[in-house]
Amino acid sequence: MVAFDIVLSGVILGGTYALIALGLTLQYGVARIMNLAYGELLIAAAFGAYWLFVAKAVSPLTGLIVVIPVAFALNWLIYRFLLTPLVRRAKSRDALEADSILATFGMLFIVQGGLLVAFGGQYYSDRFLQSAVIILGDTVEANKLVTAAFAIVASLGLYLALTHTRAGTAIRAVAVAPGSARLVGIDVERLSAFAFALGGALSAAGGVLVSMSLLFSATSGVLFTMKALIIAIMGGAGNLLGSLVAGLILGIAEIAVARLIDPGLTIAINFVLFLAVLLIRPAGLFGRAAA
Amino acid sequence: MTAKALSGFAALILGVALLAAAPFAVNDYYLGLGVDLASYTVLATAWALFSGPTRYISLATAAFFGIGAYAMATLWDKLPEPAVVALAALLGVGVALIVGLSTLRLRGVYFVIFTFGLAELIHQLVSWHETNFTHTVGRYIYLDISSSQIYWQLLGLAVLVFSVGWLIGRSRLGLALRVIGDDEVVARHVAINTTTAKLVLFAVSAGFISATGAVMAPRWTYIDPNIAFNPLVSFQVVIMALLGGAGRLHGPILGVVPLVLVSEVLSAHFPQSFLIILGIVFLVIVYFLPDGVAGLIERWRAGTRRSERSRAVNVPFAGGALLELHNVRKAFGGLVAVDDVSLAIAAGEILGLIGPNGSGKTTALNLISGVLRSDGGEIRFKGRSIGALPSHEIARLGIARTFQLVRVLGSMSCLDNVVAGLAFRADPLWGEAARERAVALLDRVGLAPRTNVPAGQLTYIDQKRLELARALALEPELLLLDEWLAGLNPRELGVGIDLVQSLRKDGLTIVLVEHVMDAIRSLCDRCVVMNAGRKIADGPPATVLTDDAVITAYLGAAAHA
Repeated sequence: MVAFDIVLSGVILGGTYALIALGLTLQYGVARIMNLAYGELLIAAAFGAYWLFVAKAVSPLTGLIVVIPVAFALNWLIYRFLLTPLVRRAKSRDALEADSILATFGMLFIVQGGLLVAFGGQYYSDRFLQSAVIILGDTVEANKLVTAAFAIVASLGLYLALTHTRAGTAIRAVAVAPGSARLVGIDVERLSAFAFALGGALSAAGGVLVSMSLLFSATSGVLFTMKALIIAIMGGAGNLLGSLVAGLILGIAEIAVARLIDPGLTIAINFVLFLAVLLIRPAGLFGRAAA
Repeated sequence: MTAKALSGFAALILGVALLAAAPFAVNDYYLGLGVDLASYTVLATAWALFSGPTRYISLATAAFFGIGAYAMATLWDKLPEPAVVALAALLGVGVALIVGLSTLRLRGVYFVIFTFGLAELIHQLVSWHETNFTHTVGRYIYLDISSSQIYWQLLGLAVLVFSVGWLIGRSRLGLALRVIGDDEVVARHVAINTTTAKLVLFAVSAGFISATGAVMAPRWTYIDPNIAFNPLVSFQVVIMALLGGAGRLHGPILGVVPLVLVSEVLSAHFPQSFLIILGIVFLVIVYFLPDGVAGLIERWRAGTRRSERSRAVNVPFAGGALLELHNVRKAFGGLVAVDDVSLAIAAGEILGLIGPNGSGKTTALNLISGVLRSDGGEIRFKGRSIGALPSHEIARLGIARTFQLVRVLGSMSCLDNVVAGLAFRADPLWGEAARERAVALLDRVGLAPRTNVPAGQLTYIDQKRLELARALALEPELLLLDEWLAGLNPRELGVGIDLVQSLRKDGLTIVLVEHVMDAIRSLCDRCVVMNAGRKIADGPPATVLTDDAVITAYLGAAAHA
């Protein structure tokens, strides 16, 4: 019974993690931007949904319709005006990585500072759909189920779109070889901006889901960036299916540690898993070793 | 020591003495500010000791700082204060050695995330330990120590960190780190043990950071994991070092002073927007000051010095069979790049390694120089098996190489590129001797007039020349040239062929991977032809180039028929 409980709660939590990590995978794998402000933008979206729910009585699920396009546009603008200059001046992938880490550090502080001014440092949650649902004798809050279902459907939908459509193929081509993608007529800069914006939209969707089911504050963004990075790297940088699986693994591992050992060690297990993967399979669970 | 250096040294001592006297002249507010300035100076300079030259962005500052602070919090009533500080430094060094040994092969974002994770992990473990075993959230430190004493200790640490940095910058270790920052593969090929170099610096840097944490801890009186392991410390140190310029020893302090003062004003007058302004400063640095304030100042005062000295070079001669490959094999997944290849190279010989694109020539060179490890077979150099050795040891044994796609250390001068080749070989040269020899080698490859030019500014042919000079600096017995003559115009080609010819006269054994047939005919004593990973011919150029199998491999069966 405990095992079933852990797996169920783990999958529910891991579903949200997977969705969040997918967005980062798109931004890092395709647009080649290591976005350390990722979690901050996610939390900004969570606050957006919270504000819509509390002040305008818009349900978070309806709120998604507003938040996602706004996040897409905002991330597109960030890429277009703040990151494109860095992409153009970078001499190598390493140089771009270092520059983008530093630039997005700056953005992290700006967004977090803005949220602190607007909302203060305390914790928030929507308290939306808190009625209990019973699955095989296990009690689960309805909002968590909705969250997990949405996350899993969105992740799988994205995965299928990328593997089965023409635009998806182009995006994967840019992820593998931006230099060669140009040679077959793919507009790499436009597509990178698109992938970055899409990743941002996914993170915003993740933020809305977080606002429904978890506690969050203006400073919890870093935690989500960390988890997304850990999952993306565990799954193999740029590998979508890897992110999905790694997200679920992390969710289950966190719940297992919290239930069986000590809730104080959930973050520790994140890093232990991360370290183990980096040391044993540096290219990630599903990544191919570099030649 | 020259009079100028002597007066500079005297000015430094006077400056430190004035700073040490400061607590007698100012009130408590300014003393507090002085403590902040001094502590961030030590932290940012120590951070830059490792991260500046290697360009590994470390966010582990909070981890080592917290370790030091916690050492003080647990031991202040058991040991004298200076002993705790020393112990904290040792603890930091120890943790850095353990962590570094397993993780310094991570690069880029992996390293950034890892170091950030390390701080969080230690933070979590300490909180968990405190709540479960000592049943406290935080600890009190009632150490009888004044702000002035803390300030003096920090000043002492600052003097120490600058002295250590100054010594490292002048040592071979400092050069090794700059080479690593520019190109880690090249570093290994000039015989630098990159792991050791990085590990030593990471540990030294961590020791200083932990000592600072221990010295600063009594200022809080009450300490808990959230204070000791505050990740903001890591970020602030990065910003300060980068704003000042992490590539130079005096750089970080140029960032520390303005940022500590600005933070002071901001947190007093606009506590709410502190983070926003911090973020904006960060963006300004990235977009407008990529080399920091120190870099800006240097560009203003830029000037170059030239040197015209040169000296004849003699490369040692070695007798007997030099390199043997026995049934060597390397596969990438299903593709067998080198398939059961055996060959021998006699000392003093120039061997041409030729074949169509993708036939496995560069892979063979990579196996010899240790970039790749073979799946089977044996590679022997002077009778010794080298197949399992890392690149830097192979380089030290006497095998030097150039790269198909030139790899010069772009941000370093031509002179330093060659000195990098001299400083880490089995019989290292350093200081004035290395300088003289480097100038001679640059002269030999025709680069004498460009001694102090950054390598990144050279033309393609000059970069190739520089790469050759760096390879020769190792005084190799075997030189691997990977398409060194490719992409040269006819006049340059003539010069290049003459240069290789002159190396042979000095007794060097050379393996030449080449497509330029003129060069092969005029230079090679013997050619080995590869196709699809296999050796298909071996003999004098004239015989080999008319061989049926070779013509088929290059032109296809139909063309031959």
